[in-house]
Amino acid sequence: MKRILSVFLLLILVSVAAFAESGVHTYNQAVSVFPTTWNPFQTKTAVDSGLMDFLNTSMYTFDFNEDLDGYVQEPLAAADFPVDVTDQYVGDTWGIEAGETGRAWKIPLRSDLRWEDGTEIHAADFVYSAEKLLSPEAQNYRANTYYSSNLVIVNAEAYLKQGQVGQVSFNNVMDAEKIEEMQAFLDRFAAEKGWINWAASYGDTYDFASQKWTGAAEDKVVETPLTVPELYAFFTEGAGAEFCTWADAAQKLEWAGEELYINYMLFPDAITFDQVGFLATGEDELTLILAKKLTGFDLKYQLGGLFLVNRDLYEKTSSVKDGVFTSTYGTSAETTISWGPYCLSSFQSDKVYELTRNPNWFGFSDKEFEGQYETDVIRVRYVQEPSTQMEMFLNGELDTVGLDRDTIEDYATSDYTYYSEGDSVFAMAFNPDMDGLKHAQSVAGANINKTILTLKEFRMAMSLAMNRAEFCTAAIPMNQPAFALFGNQIVADPDEGVFYRDLDEAKQVVVKFWGLDDEIGDGKLYATTDDAVDAITGYDPEQAKQYFDKAYDLAIEKGLMKEGDTVQITVGTTNATSAFNNNGYDFIVNNYTEAVKGTKLEGKLTFTRDSTLGNGFADALRTSRVDMLFGVGWTGSTFDPFSLIKAYVTPEYQYDPAWDTTKAMLTLELDGVKYTANISTWYLAMTGNVVKVSKEDGTEAELDIRENQQDRIHVLCACENAILQNYDFIPMMGDSTAALKGMKVEYYLEDEVFPMGRGGIRYMTYNYDDAQWEAFVREQGGTLFYK
Amino acid sequence: MGKYVLKRIILMLFTFLVIISICFVLVKLLPNKPAQQFGRDMQLIEMRREALGYNKPLLEQYLIFVRKSLIGGDWGVSEVLYTGQDVWQKFIEKMPATVIVNAYTMLFSIPLGLLFGIYAALRKNRWQDHLISTLVIVFVSVPSYVYAFLVQYFLCFRLKWFPFQMAAGYDYLSFKTFISIVPAILSLGFGTIAGLTRYTRAELTEVLTSDFLLLARTKGLTRAQTTVRHAMRNAMVPIFPMILGEFIGIMGGSLIIEQIFGIPGVGPLYVASITAATPDYNFFMLLSAFYTFIGLASGIIVDISYGFIDPRIRMGSKKA
Repeated sequence: MKRILSVFLLLILVSVAAFAESGVHTYNQAVSVFPTTWNPFQTKTAVDSGLMDFLNTSMYTFDFNEDLDGYVQEPLAAADFPVDVTDQYVGDTWGIEAGETGRAWKIPLRSDLRWEDGTEIHAADFVYSAEKLLSPEAQNYRANTYYSSNLVIVNAEAYLKQGQVGQVSFNNVMDAEKIEEMQAFLDRFAAEKGWINWAASYGDTYDFASQKWTGAAEDKVVETPLTVPELYAFFTEGAGAEFCTWADAAQKLEWAGEELYINYMLFPDAITFDQVGFLATGEDELTLILAKKLTGFDLKYQLGGLFLVNRDLYEKTSSVKDGVFTSTYGTSAETTISWGPYCLSSFQSDKVYELTRNPNWFGFSDKEFEGQYETDVIRVRYVQEPSTQMEMFLNGELDTVGLDRDTIEDYATSDYTYYSEGDSVFAMAFNPDMDGLKHAQSVAGANINKTILTLKEFRMAMSLAMNRAEFCTAAIPMNQPAFALFGNQIVADPDEGVFYRDLDEAKQVVVKFWGLDDEIGDGKLYATTDDAVDAITGYDPEQAKQYFDKAYDLAIEKGLMKEGDTVQITVGTTNATSAFNNNGYDFIVNNYTEAVKGTKLEGKLTFTRDSTLGNGFADALRTSRVDMLFGVGWTGSTFDPFSLIKAYVTPEYQYDPAWDTTKAMLTLELDGVKYTANISTWYLAMTGNVVKVSKEDGTEAELDIRENQQDRIHVLCACENAILQNYDFIPMMGDSTAALKGMKVEYYLEDEVFPMGRGGIRYMTYNYDDAQWEAFVREQGGTLFYK
Repeated sequence: MGKYVLKRIILMLFTFLVIISICFVLVKLLPNKPAQQFGRDMQLIEMRREALGYNKPLLEQYLIFVRKSLIGGDWGVSEVLYTGQDVWQKFIEKMPATVIVNAYTMLFSIPLGLLFGIYAALRKNRWQDHLISTLVIVFVSVPSYVYAFLVQYFLCFRLKWFPFQMAAGYDYLSFKTFISIVPAILSLGFGTIAGLTRYTRAELTEVLTSDFLLLARTKGLTRAQTTVRHAMRNAMVPIFPMILGEFIGIMGGSLIIEQIFGIPGVGPLYVASITAATPDYNFFMLLSAFYTFIGLASGIIVDISYGFIDPRIRMGSKKA
C-alpha cells in the first residue's frame, strides 16, 4: 500500500513539476480581473489596457530624468518631437486662420517600425487605423479619443457622427445654425415636435394629454405632442412655468434653451475621411490637423495614444451582421499582432496568458534600450482569490502580490512591501437640494427630517465628525485619509513636472478649508504651512459637536425641523455585496451615532441604506433618491486638473444638483487686476477659452489666460477652494495600494517617481533566472519568508 | 409511454418559452445605461445602443430575439463581458472545463457515497454508523468553498502535493490536468458523497427492515445476497434519479470552486452577465435558455427513469 501511495505521489510530483529553463527570466503575476478585449478601439478596462501596453508602442513616452526624481517625455515610435506646421494648412479647408499656431503638427515616424511578423509599419497604417476607429458603422468605444479630449482632430467627430439625428438642445441647435434670437429659432423650427429633458426639469413629469402633473420623476429626454413654439410657451409661460416657482422669468427663458430639445442632425452626412485632419504626408510622416490648439506636454501626451491596428488582421476579424459591426480583433492570441516590446504567445480565456519578447521590436536592436527589458516571458494568471495569490507568492510561484485588509498587518513593515499612491480622491457627496429633500422627507413619513442637509453647518459637522483614518481602516485599509479635492499625484504644470499639491497656493487651499490659515506663522500653532498641512487629520469631534448643535438650532429657527423630528439620511451604495460598501456603511452609521452624542441631535440622527443603485448612484443623489454617497469621486486627468474641474462644476457631472455654478461668483486678482465671473466661466477660462469677465469698476473685459500657466493655477486653486467650501463634496480618502515584491526581481528605484513608478518591466532586473529561482525556493523548504 | 413523453415534451417547451420570456423582460428592465464618466461620449454610446436595437420597443426586441436566437440559433455577440465575441462559441469554449471537473467529481463521489451509505445502513446504530452519520452532517452543513480553502491550504500550500490552480491549456483529459483538479474534485465531492451517503443509508435502512427482506433471509439467502439482489435494487428507486440528476448537473458550473481553483469554466458567467456594469443581454439569455432547457429536460429524464428502474411506476399502461 505504502509503495502504491509513493508511486502515486511521485507521479503527481512529476506531472506537476514545471522544469524551469536556465537563463530565462519569467515574471509571474496574478490578476483578479482578466483581460477580455485588447482591441485598441474597444478597450474598456485598465486590465485590457495593461495588456495592450506591452503589444503597442506609444508615440511619445515617459522616462526618468537624469536625477531620477522626475520624468521626461521622449519619442518612442516617433523619430522626433512633433513640428508645428500650422502655417501650411491655413484656409477654409481646415478652418485655420493666418497667424494661428499649434493647430497642425507633423510627426516623423521611425523607419524601423515593424509588426511582430516583420511587416513594415508606415504612416498610411496609422491613417487606416484612424479611419477604422472613426468608422460610423463601428461606433467604437474609444473613437472619442480623437475629439473629446484636448486632442480634437478636425472633422473626427463629424465623420463619426455624420448623418446622426438625435435630440439636441435648443441652444446647441442655435449655435450650430448660427441663430441669435430665440424667436427666429422658433419660427425656423415651428413645425418640429419638441422634446423635453425631464431629468433636468421640475423633478416631476407633465402628462400633456390630461394636462396634469404626474408626480413621477423621469430621467430622460422625451418627445412631447407639442410643437417647438408650443413647448417653449409651456415652459416659459404655461403650466411648466407656473410649476417652476423656484425660478424667475429670466431664468425660465434661459433654462428653456438648455432643457428643451428637437430632433436634429448635428453633423451633416457625406463627410469623407479625407476631410478628417489625419494625414499621411510622407511614407513615415503623419500630420494631424487640430480643431483646437494643442502644444507642449499635452500635445505629446495626447499623441502618445495614437491607435494602430494591423490592416489584414483587422479586416479578417471584422464583420457587419444585421447592421451591427463586430470585431474579434485583439481577443485571442490568433487575433492579436504586436508592434510593442512583447507579443502575445498564448492566451487562454480567464486562465492565463504569456507574453514573450518581440524580436521585431526596434528597441531590442537600439542601443538606447540596452540593459532594459531583461524579462523574457511575462506570465499572467487569473487568480481571483487573494488568499490563493498570497499562498502562490509565498511558494515562489508569483513575483508580486497585492496586500489587502487581511494581509497588510502581517507585511506592513516588511522590506519587500512597496506602497503606491493613486491619483484619485474619494469623497462623501451630499445632496443639499431643498426641493428634492422636501419631497424625499414627505415620502419618508411623519417626523422625519432631511432638509437639515441644506444647512452648510450640518454638512461641516458631518465632515469634521468623520474619522477618516478609522474609516479607511474599516473599509479599505490601503487607502489614506484625504483632505483636499486633488491628491498628491495631480500635476499642475506637466511641462515643468510640478505637482499641484506641492504648490504653496494649493497648500493654502487645504489649510483654509480646515480652518488653519490663521494658525500659521511665528508664535502660532504651526510654524509653516507644511507643518499645518501635516497636522491635518480631518477629524475634530469637539468642533463637530458644536456645528451639530448650531445646525440643529438653525434648522429649528428656520422651521426646517421640529424638536421631536428625527434626521434620517439615506445613504446610497452601488450594491449590497461589496465589502467596501458594507463596512463603509456600518462605519458611517456607528461613527455618526457616536459623534452626535452629547449634542442636540443625540438619538435623532439615523441612517437608512439604498444598496440598489448600481451605475446610477450619481443620478440617485441628483434626483434625491438618496441623500448621501460615500467613496465617490473622479479619476483620470492626472496631468490636466484644469479639465478635471469640469467634473465638479458642470451639471452633467457634479453630484450636487442644487449648486448652480453659473450663479456662484468668484472674484480673483490676476496681475493686480480684480476680475469677477461665475465659477462656470472661470472653468472655461482655465481650459483654453477666452471669456468675458467683470472688472472691479463694473466694466466687462475679455480675459485670455490660455498661455499663462501661473494664472491658470491661480484659478484652479480658487475653484478647488470654492468647491470645498460648498461642503457638498467632502474629501474622505485617497486611493493607494501596497504590494509585496518577490525576492526574484528588483525594481529600478526604491521610491516611486510619477508616472513611471519604480521602472516597471522596462527597468526590472532579476536576481535569479527561472532555474536558479526554482532551486532557491526548494532550498528554502518550498515556502519563502517575507515578513 | 410515448404519449406521456410527448405530452411532457410539449409541456416542457411551453414552460421553457414562458421562463425565457420572463427572463427576457426582467433583464431588459434592469438599468442598462453605462454610468456617465469623465471623458465618455454618451452620444457615441447612444449610437451603439441604437445600432444594437436597445431603443426599439420591448415587444419588437422580444420578437427579434425569438426569431434570431430561439428559432435561428444565433445568440449574438457579447457586448460587455467578452466584447465582440460570439456568446455561443465562448460558452462552448468554457464548458469542457466545467464538465470535466464535475464529471470527475461524480465518478469519484458516487461510488464512495453509495459505499458509505451501504456500510452505514448495514452497521446501523453501531459506532461506524454514528461516525459516518456525524461526518455526513458536517459535510452536508459546511459549504464546499470552506473545504476548498482548507484543501488548498493543506494539500497545495503546506504539503505541495497539488498545484494551486487547474493546469492551463485545453488538454482536459491529460494526467497533468487531472492532477491539477484533484483539489477541486475533493472540494466538490465531499458534499456529494455526504448527500449520497445520507440518502443511501436512509433508503437502505428502510428496505433492510422490510418484510420481504426477512422472507428472503428465511429462504436461505445470505445477508450479502439479500442486500445486493433485493435491498439495493429497491433502495435505488429514489437514489438512481438523484445520481442521474447529478450527472445532468455537471454542466452547471460552481461559481466559488471554479474561482478558487482557477477553472476557466462557465460557473461565473451567469452572475457576471447581470452584475456587469451593464447587463450582457446575449450572454444572459443564452445561459438562461441553456440552463432552463437542461433543468426541464433533466426533470423529464428523471421522471422517465423511474419507470425503467421500477416497472411498477411505468406510466400509460392500460393493463393496470
